Amino acid sequence: MIHFIIRRLLITLVLVFFISLVSFFIITLTPGSPYPWGELDPKISQTVKDNYRKQFHLDEPIWMQYYLNMKGLFSGDLRSIKDGRPVLERIGERLPATLALNVCAIVISLSFGLLIGVYSARNAGRWPDVTLSVISFAMLALPGFWISYLVIIGITDWFGTPMLGTSTYGTIFPNAASQMLDYAWHLALPASLLALGGIAAQSRYIRASMIETLGEDYIRTARAKGLDEETVSYKHALRNSIRPLITGIGGLLPALIGGSIIIESIFAYPGIGRLGYQAVLERDYSTLVALNFITAALVLLGNLLADILYAAVDPRVRLE
Amino acid sequence: MRVIKFLIYGVPLILVAVFVAAFWNATQLSTNKKNELTIGSIGEPTKINPILSTDSAASQVESLVFEGLLKYSADLELEPNLAREFQLSQTTTFFFPTNESASAAREILMTLSARWAEWTLRNAVVIDRELRLDFLQPGLETSNVIADLISIDPMSPVVQVRVEVGDKARELLATFRAAHPEFNIVREWFDYDAVFEISALGDSAPISEALTAFLAAKKVEKSNVQVLDELQFLAEPVVRFDLREGVLWQDGVEFTSKDVAFTFWALTDASIGSPRKPDFDLIQALETPTPYEVVVTYRKPFSPALSSWTMSIIPAHILEGKPISWWDEFFHRSPVGLGPFKFAEWKTNEFIRLERNPTYYDGAPWLDAVVIRTLPDPIANRLAFETRQVDYWGVDPWAVKAFEDDERFDVFNAPAKQYNWVGWNLRMPMFQDLRVRQAFAHAVNVPEMIKYVLYGNGVQSTGIFPPMYWFANNDIVPIPYDPDRARALLDEAGWKLGPDGIRVKDGERMSFKLITNQGNETRKDIATLVQDNLKRIGVDVQVEIYEWAVFISRFVMKQEFESLVLAWTTPPDYDAFQVWHSSQANADQLNLVGYNNPQVDRLIEQLRQEYDRDKIIEMAGKIQLIIYEDQPLLFLYIPDSTSVIWKDSFRIRRPTPDGWKDTPVEMTKAGWTYYLQWFYRPEYADEMPPAEVAVP
Repeated sequence: MIHFIIRRLLITLVLVFFISLVSFFIITLTPGSPYPWGELDPKISQTVKDNYRKQFHLDEPIWMQYYLNMKGLFSGDLRSIKDGRPVLERIGERLPATLALNVCAIVISLSFGLLIGVYSARNAGRWPDVTLSVISFAMLALPGFWISYLVIIGITDWFGTPMLGTSTYGTIFPNAASQMLDYAWHLALPASLLALGGIAAQSRYIRASMIETLGEDYIRTARAKGLDEETVSYKHALRNSIRPLITGIGGLLPALIGGSIIIESIFAYPGIGRLGYQAVLERDYSTLVALNFITAALVLLGNLLADILYAAVDPRVRLE
Repeated sequence: MRVIKFLIYGVPLILVAVFVAAFWNATQLSTNKKNELTIGSIGEPTKINPILSTDSAASQVESLVFEGLLKYSADLELEPNLAREFQLSQTTTFFFPTNESASAAREILMTLSARWAEWTLRNAVVIDRELRLDFLQPGLETSNVIADLISIDPMSPVVQVRVEVGDKARELLATFRAAHPEFNIVREWFDYDAVFEISALGDSAPISEALTAFLAAKKVEKSNVQVLDELQFLAEPVVRFDLREGVLWQDGVEFTSKDVAFTFWALTDASIGSPRKPDFDLIQALETPTPYEVVVTYRKPFSPALSSWTMSIIPAHILEGKPISWWDEFFHRSPVGLGPFKFAEWKTNEFIRLERNPTYYDGAPWLDAVVIRTLPDPIANRLAFETRQVDYWGVDPWAVKAFEDDERFDVFNAPAKQYNWVGWNLRMPMFQDLRVRQAFAHAVNVPEMIKYVLYGNGVQSTGIFPPMYWFANNDIVPIPYDPDRARALLDEAGWKLGPDGIRVKDGERMSFKLITNQGNETRKDIATLVQDNLKRIGVDVQVEIYEWAVFISRFVMKQEFESLVLAWTTPPDYDAFQVWHSSQANADQLNLVGYNNPQVDRLIEQLRQEYDRDKIIEMAGKIQLIIYEDQPLLFLYIPDSTSVIWKDSFRIRRPTPDGWKDTPVEMTKAGWTYYLQWFYRPEYADEMPPAEVAVP
């Protein structure tokens, strides 16, 4: 086991290096420039441009730029081309809001996924299951931004309720509880919309896995020895059906800090997704390098974690 | 099993309960607003520092937090601000071979003292071999007249040379001066440490040869020696600012000329790297004789430079001696300025909160605070406005009518400071014929374009200056839509209809590409309409659309295009040099279409040296007329920019010469937020401090 983990970690390191290398070249070779001013500003002289390129090492050969970026990233003093602040600080200040949104979304998608999945499996083939299946597939198929727009336009037109950002602006709150609930509201709505796809996917996994388990011999045995249907479902069947859910947790690691550009933009929510999107538009190479690196590392670590969890949950799996 | 059942049923139930409670709470929130103005902004400032930022989100904050020596009035004219007043003058220096000839020239001038008033000449002194004249008004005209009158002895010409060296410019020039004392270098100026420019006495050939040889001997790579000008005399305009006394920074320290000197240093120092530096490149020296006086000497007459003193001043007592990384960490996210609102809080990607500056020199604002929210999504902006989460919205053209018809809103409509155009690459023979460009102008139905693309919210453009500026020529009649005239012009130019309905001349079909950038639906619509309109007169246009960065770097800046759709934004500045002078038509320069008219070149050069208001209006008007008649661009339209607020959500109470004036929010040439300092919410009218307290 230890052996396996060490070997996988080493492979992960090599992979992260290659990912960062390739993504750096893709980023820097994209047309466009990171100038903070528009390319067509008549008032910027050539010496100002040259000086700026020198300041941010944009006049160095590309491999040297890669080296300097990586060095800066690991020593912690890599600064954004855009505002000159340390990149890790820029990412760090968005972490709380991002974590809050994503943890909420994950809890919503897991809990409702479980509820709907179990309910569908126990009623497999009957009308509630069919209805839920149709809705699930619809949720998977419809683009999230479209549903989000419908929801916020609907709420605005019918209730006139504020929902953008992290709290209501310019209002005098009657008490602290009201203010807390206001935060909750501004978090719950984007989190729910972010979770829609997750609910649909999780419920399908659990439904399929549970139906399969319910067909097993030992379930028939359990029923035969006279156990009531509740015990059979929740104690015997469910335990063996939530394996896909547990192993899926590995994949949640990058999702925790990775953001959703679209939901965050529509709801003006201050998360990491928007940071990355903004950085792409502004060609802020240093921020992109850091974000790519962190995301790549988390994805690979998540995969590793999934493998280990899989072995832990299922004794038949051996890690060699 | 209980745990499992709780996980399955209990958790979702709790979540639903919280959701419902939170929603109910949100619907119950009071609609009473604080005494604040909330603005929605698509982008977020990168850094709040007027000498470094170039994004519009930052300048919105900076305009409230900082102040400049001068400002634009409600009619977009320059007026004093932190400077109580400013005076223009000029020193003209003639160089003579000997002290005697300089004195002789002065004697001649003394005999002409009757004409001094007419010349605005105040003083004439001889220092060594120099004769220095002190004029009240900058400009070259009178100096030229005087030069002719006093040149009994041949004066030494002044040669101006620009030398690009890459780096170590200061060191190299010092070495050169020591090695070549025979060249009399009277002025030097550095562009960072990469370039130096000198003014020396004598002929241009020996000095440029000496410089070239010197740089070769020093093994300076990629050096370039360029003779800029040979002049008869040096004309150096001077601007003198008298600063207001007792103006306080938002942290309580007094504002003095030291801050102005520091701002100028920061603008021009390489370690800061300000993109606004080129506006200040013509300054030879900035002196601060007293804490309330600033004297700026320019290297040559350049009247548009005056407007650069609307530049916000930054605090020396905070920033001096600190490295730029300290600025980034501490100042750029909690700036201190001299403006009506002071910085209070910045929550990244959420909002920036500015609060009333009680010590603002022009009177503390009525509002408690201005909050600028970051709302990246355009639809979210509108919804935030409709739920009163922001106080105004910049309306899209299609929605303007609906808001105007709605009783609940006040709508402010004014032409934007930009114009949209289609440019013909004049380097192509096809477009060089004026008749062809005129034909295109007649063929494209601009009124219809305004009607359908802008839903009527715009006016036809008549050239390079939009009508709200004082120097714009508003007598120009737009070229009318007349396809028959267009066909006749093309026939006349030799482009005859071919068998496939497309015009042909000497075997060449009248067919070209029209390019524009992705992500701008309006430009795409323009391109399609132009394509259709031109097809009707027998011209084949293929529209191609590229991503912005590709569009700019591959086509526009290399000037490798046939025709393109684009827009220019126009600052309140009459200098047309970069976009219209024929010397600016190379790659990476901004005369994109390669316009070349010697008459316009001359006028642009003269206009830059002219300080007389009436003459500026006359010359700018002439430039605008000639360029419009030449049609290097098909000038399309100036779109309206429309803002909407909830009816009567704000009022204005502002001081006028006749006392306090209370009005609804009103439109000015500088926009409807020009009087923001005097905005107040009517529901807080009782709580407003008595007017006397704030009399500025």
